[in-house]
Formats: sequence, C-alpha cells, structure tokens
Amino acid sequence: MKWITARRRHPLAGYVVVILALALFGVGYAALAPTADQAQAQTLAADAPSQDDVNVLEGKEVFDQTCATCHNYDGSGTANGPDLRGVGPAAVDFQVSTGRMPSMDPDSQMPRKPMAMSEQDLQNLIAYYNAQIRTDDLGPDIPYDVPNSAPERSEFEDEEAYEAAVEEYQTEYEAYVEGAEDTDMGMRLYLTNCAHCHGWSGGGGALTDGRWAPEIHDASPREIYEAMVSGPGAMPMFSDGVIEPEEKQELIAYVKTLQAEPDAGGIFALERVGQVAEGFIAWVVGLALIIACAIWITAKQRAHD
Amino acid sequence: MSKTTQAPKALRGVGNFIDDRFHLAKTGEKNLRKVFPNHWSFMLGEIALYSFIILLVTGVFLTLWFKPSMAEIIYDGSYERLQGVPMSEAYASTLYIDFEVRGGFLVRQIHHWAALIFVASLVVHMLRVFFTGAFRKPREINWLIGVAIFGLAMVEGLFGYSLPDDLPSGMGVRILQGVMMALPLVGPYISMFLFGGEFPGEDIITRLYMLHILLIPALLLALIVAHFMILWHQKHTQYPGQGRTDKTVVGTPMFPAFAVKAGGFFFFTFAVTAGLSAFVQINPIHLFGPFTPTSITSGLQPDWYMGFMEGALRIFPNWFDLTVFGYAIPTAVLVPGLVIPGLLFGGLAAWPFIEQWITGDRSAHNVVDRPRNAPVRTGIGVSGIVFYGVLWLAGSNDVLSETFSIELYLTTYIFRVLIILGPGVGFYITKRICLGLQRRDRETLEHGYESGTIQQLPSGEFIEVHKHNSDETVHVLKSKPTITSTALADDADVDDKGVENPEARKGTGKLRRALAHWYTKDNVPIDDVEAHSGHHLHHSAAEGEKEAVH
Repeated sequence: MKWITARRRHPLAGYVVVILALALFGVGYAALAPTADQAQAQTLAADAPSQDDVNVLEGKEVFDQTCATCHNYDGSGTANGPDLRGVGPAAVDFQVSTGRMPSMDPDSQMPRKPMAMSEQDLQNLIAYYNAQIRTDDLGPDIPYDVPNSAPERSEFEDEEAYEAAVEEYQTEYEAYVEGAEDTDMGMRLYLTNCAHCHGWSGGGGALTDGRWAPEIHDASPREIYEAMVSGPGAMPMFSDGVIEPEEKQELIAYVKTLQAEPDAGGIFALERVGQVAEGFIAWVVGLALIIACAIWITAKQRAHD
Repeated sequence: MSKTTQAPKALRGVGNFIDDRFHLAKTGEKNLRKVFPNHWSFMLGEIALYSFIILLVTGVFLTLWFKPSMAEIIYDGSYERLQGVPMSEAYASTLYIDFEVRGGFLVRQIHHWAALIFVASLVVHMLRVFFTGAFRKPREINWLIGVAIFGLAMVEGLFGYSLPDDLPSGMGVRILQGVMMALPLVGPYISMFLFGGEFPGEDIITRLYMLHILLIPALLLALIVAHFMILWHQKHTQYPGQGRTDKTVVGTPMFPAFAVKAGGFFFFTFAVTAGLSAFVQINPIHLFGPFTPTSITSGLQPDWYMGFMEGALRIFPNWFDLTVFGYAIPTAVLVPGLVIPGLLFGGLAAWPFIEQWITGDRSAHNVVDRPRNAPVRTGIGVSGIVFYGVLWLAGSNDVLSETFSIELYLTTYIFRVLIILGPGVGFYITKRICLGLQRRDRETLEHGYESGTIQQLPSGEFIEVHKHNSDETVHVLKSKPTITSTALADDADVDDKGVENPEARKGTGKLRRALAHWYTKDNVPIDDVEAHSGHHLHHSAAEGEKEAVH
C-alpha cells in the first residue's frame, strides 16, 4: 500500500489507472465473452447421397420439429414463413447449411451461424423435402458437383477416414477452382453483378432498409452457387440461364482465389477495408507518431537554447 | 579573440576567396543565427515539408517505370492471377512497379502513405495557425498561400489516386466527371474536352499524369518556397512568455541547434512513413483489378482528404433538383461538388480579413494568442472542424453502417441533423470552455497554484495551500489581450473632426457593430487582478490580517 500511496499523485498516475482499467476490461471481456464459432457446414463434396443413405421418415421428423412452425406441415407457408413448395432443394440446403434456418426471428435478416442440425439430418430433411413437399420439381437442384466445405474431424470415427476425406475434398476443390481459366470473365462477372453489394473483396457491405450483404469468405463454393440460383433474402436470383454453370465456376474461382491471395503490401492488410481504414491509420498512427516526435525533440531545452 | 576559434588556414583561404566575391559572410552569419522559437506545434508545418520532399523523391522513382497510357494490352507479367486479363498500360506498368521493379512495391506504398500524411499535416498545421491567430497581420498573404497549397494538395492527391487505372481510381474519375457534367450549360463541354470524348476515353490518364507530375507539383513547390521565404523574412510567431514581444523573438538559433533538430525530424518523419509502408498494406491495386466501365463495387472510398466531398454528395438531399427549359440542374451534385468546397476554402481564405474588419485591428502581431483568449475565433474554428468532420464521417457511412450495425438510411438522417446542429453546438461548448479556462487563469493569477498541501488552521479550518506562480506563468497570464473593436469605440461614428460618419449608419456599419459586439462581448477581464493577491495565500497569516485581506 505504501508503494501506491507514494506514487498515486504522480503526474502519470491517472494514465496508468486508465490503462490498467482498460486492460482489465479488455482481458475480462475476452475471457468471458462467448467465442465466435466459425460457421462451417460439413458436407463432404460428393455426389448426391444415394437413397440408401437417407431416411425420409427421419427427415419428416426434422421438418415437423424445426420448420413446420413457420412454413406449415405441408410447406405451404404461414404468416411467419414463405411457401417452400417451389423454392427447390438448393434453397433448403443453402439456408440450413449456413445456419440461417431455422431462424430465431423471422422479421430480421439472419446472420451466418453454425448449422443447427447434423449433416445426416440435413440430408434426411432434403430427401423428405424432395419426396413430399417440392411440387412439380420446381426450383433449383443442389449442385452436387460443386465442392462444399471441408470435412470436419468430428464427422469421422477414425483419423484415417478423416484424412482420406480431406484429401478427396482438397482434390475436388482444387480441380474446381483451377478448372476456371478465364480470370477476366470471373472478375467482370463478379464486379458487375456481385461487388456493388458484397464489395470488391467479398467482405460484405451495407444495404438499404437495415439489411446488409454478408461477407462471403466463409461460404463454400457450393453455398455461393446455391445463393446465386436461389436468391436468398434481398439477393437477386442468377439462374443457370442468366449465368451459365461454367461462368459461375469462373466467378466462384475468382472470389476464392482473391480471398486466398496473400496481402503483398504488408502484414497488416487492414481487413481489406480500404481507404477508410488507411485514412484512419494515417492519422492515428502516422501523423500521431510524427507529432509525438516533434513534442519529444522540442521538450528538452538546454540552458543556452 | 582566442586562437582556437580560427578556422584552418586552407578553409580560411577558400572562405575569403568566396567572400571577397559574393560578400556572403554577413548574410550567412545573419541567417545562420536566425532564431526559431521552440515549441512542438511550430514543427507541424515541417511535417508537411518533409512529406512533400518524400513525395517528390518517391514520385521521381515511380515515373521511371509508369506508362501513362490507356492503350489496352493483355497482361503477361509476373503477377500470375491477372495473366491474360486485358488492361490498360497504366495499370500493367503499375503492376510491373509492384512485382518486377526491385523495391517498387515499397516505394509505391511510401508514396501513398506520404501523400496521406502530407495532407493531414497541412490540416493540423493550418489549425494551429488558425487557433493561435498567427494568420493576423503581417501574415495574411502567407495564410492565403497556405490555403492555396491545401487546395492544390487535394487535387494533386485525387489525380495521383486516379493514375494506376485500377478499380477505385476509375470510380473516382467517374465521380469527378459526374460533378463536371452537373455544371449547367458548360458541364458536358468541359467533360468532353478533358476526357477527349465520352468517359472514359483514351486520354484522361495521360492528361492527369501531366497535371500530377508537372503542373501541380511545380505550383506546389513554388508556393511552398514562397511560404518559407515569407516566413524567413517575417520571422516565426511565438507564444507569449518572458522576453517575448512583438519585436523580440526568443528561440533556438538556426545553426547549429535548430538545423540539427529539423534535420533529425526529417529522418523521423521518413522513418514513420517507411515503417507504415513496410508493414501496412495501402491501396492494393493488384487485388482491386483493372477498371472497366461496367465494374462497380461497394465499400470503396476516396482517400481521406476527399472524404468530406464524398460525404457531402452522400447526405445532400435531391429535393432541390430543378429542370429549367428542359435542362436538368442537379443541385444535389452541384452543391456538394462546388458550393461546399467553395465555402470551405473561401471561408478559410476570407477569415483573416473578416476578423480584421470586425475588430478594426491593423497592428502587426508576432506574439500569438492562446486559443482561450480569443473565444469566438476558437469557437468558429471548432464549428468548422465539426462541419468538416461530419461530412468526412458521412463519406464513410456505408463502412460505418456495416461495422456498427446501424441502418444505412439512419446514418444519412443522423448526419443531416448533425451537419446543421453540430457546428452551432460545437461553437457554444468551445466558447464556454474558453471562458472557463479564462476564469481559471484569472484565479491562478490571483491565488497562485494549488499545491496539494492541506493545512489545518488554529481555528480548525482546513485549507489547501496555494503557492506563488513562477514569473514566467505570471507573465503569460498577464499577457492576455483584451479583445476590442474600433467599431465599438465611443467615437466610432464620428470622424476625427467630429463630423458624423455616414458609413456608420449604413447596413454594413450596423452589421459590423453587431458582429463586433458578438466578437468581443464575452471576456473575463484580468485588469483589476494583482498577481498573488488572493486571500488563500494569506490563510496562514494571523486572524486579524486575514480579515483585512478579505
């Protein structure tokens, strides 16, 4: 205590207290705050699951429990949720695998979250949807030839099966992304159709009426594809007639390659936010440091100065 | 004179040879001994000078490889991702500087960071000059030169930003063209002339390049030299202090002390700029990709110094757009694009003369004001900062909306309200703070400073002992000028022969009197205060004496 008593009136004491308090709150918050789970859907990129792997009855159970409250038991929709009979399995897969459905609050835009059910449940749900709810095969199908997210360890019983699955996934992913050869086409398609909402880097952006275009870095190629063909939320629909599957491959490959591109300009890339962040740094780091130096070199005055 | 002060014989010979012919010794002696007042805020302009030097040097480096051509080529360089993509030669040569020229990427980033710091240091330097009243006679011309440098620096930055022909630069040029097209009657002609046809044409990069590397830098250099020569001739202003008067400058001699400090300061400025450039990515044109007229993206802004104009465009409503004889007059573009910057630069340029007109003060000032001692001027400065700052923030409203999860439209309405209320609130609060500080100055002068020592009097009363201020502090506090105006003098409406002055009865005379009243009315006088005469100092004295002091 004596040590503190002797120093508490020091000119720097106030700053020290503020810094300590900020550090306490910062560390405390970091320790207590819920960790942000990285949303990852967990399908193996593969062909459509065969009839033997799915169970329509279990899918019905999932639907009745998690979807029917808003979308009704026959998928015809209620005041809280739209009619699902014509949206197609791609929309179902996109909404559920990105964790946007089941929604807690149908009135507001859903952020990306970890998927609420297991991969098997989703497959069952989609099988049930295709068998019982979908009408006249309306709506886009799931693009099973487009790679989905990387497999997760928890989905596999032993290490060997997991590693094999990862290898298979990587081969497929690289084949898809490197199969695109026309950067110019992908870039133009992205910058003409997507960038005015999702931003040039795919980092997302603000929209009108309280909506926002989400960042698409966590989205798998298949989810991007499904978003384009199903047009979730405020997003327009880009059907395979408007942007052909090969063009979609170019576009998705452009986004994913750009995302994976290292930041050649320095280790601090400022989240690729651009000029707002750069201006902020120029003032609060660049100019502030230089002014601090000006204060420093003019502070010491010798007698003959 | 002792022998040790003599230079070696060989040097003396050369020195005498030169001096016999050019008579430099006297001028040199005088200028090397020139005194420069010592205060950190007097170094702010130097940051701008040094950033400008860095810009010149790195700019020369970049011109060695940059090709200001809009001819379309298929990229075949070493940046793999964009191979086979059609782009302009300007963009391709910038990629070449980034990826093939040794150190090119670093130099390009130094150039860009130095540009951001250059304009930022101009702003803080200008604010320092404004708030201390250093623009007053005899320095009005130098203030005007400073305003011109500020304006030119913005345009220079905008054009430089447009040269690489990447996605954001193309969007910036498109906005520039939009503002031009909004000009009634002449707009399309100016645009067609500048672009050599329809946007984007094939000439704009070449033309902006000439402006960016030749015309505007030459003007900037000339103005900066003039700025310094006038400064040199008039000598630097100084803060009030013992021995400092309008006729005497106190400070460090140019040589050696100040020259060493200033030289070291250059290297520090360069180190910070180079450090930022080495570690923080700026304007990654290779990630943006080349500009095509169909490309458009959200989340991109101009560099910070154009932000206030971007913000004005974003929040100005379109309610006043007119159509006259079938011609559209888009005021929603004209006002933000021309009127707002006109107001800003016009206001800055006019202020020294407006203030002189209000106060009628024609005397020369070499000792600057402490900002609190000119509360109305300080308040106006802050309201200017608020006005500029709100527009600046509004320029990034999409990023703010996304980052802080505020509705985009709501930010527009918030900024619209703030831009109207903010400057007034800023003025009022600042003026009250200034007057509060004046009151505290008066108290410090009267009572000395609070020592933190608590004493108990024989009567049981506790007091905090006040101690005497240093002579320097007393001098600074007592030097507070009383702001007056000749418009409020008793004989203001009669001339020296006692004849009524017709000017005083006219509208401008009345306006001047009203402004002068507003400018001078709030002041905490210290004329009646004797230093250290306050009763606190005498608490420890005997009871009887204490009563007498009360």
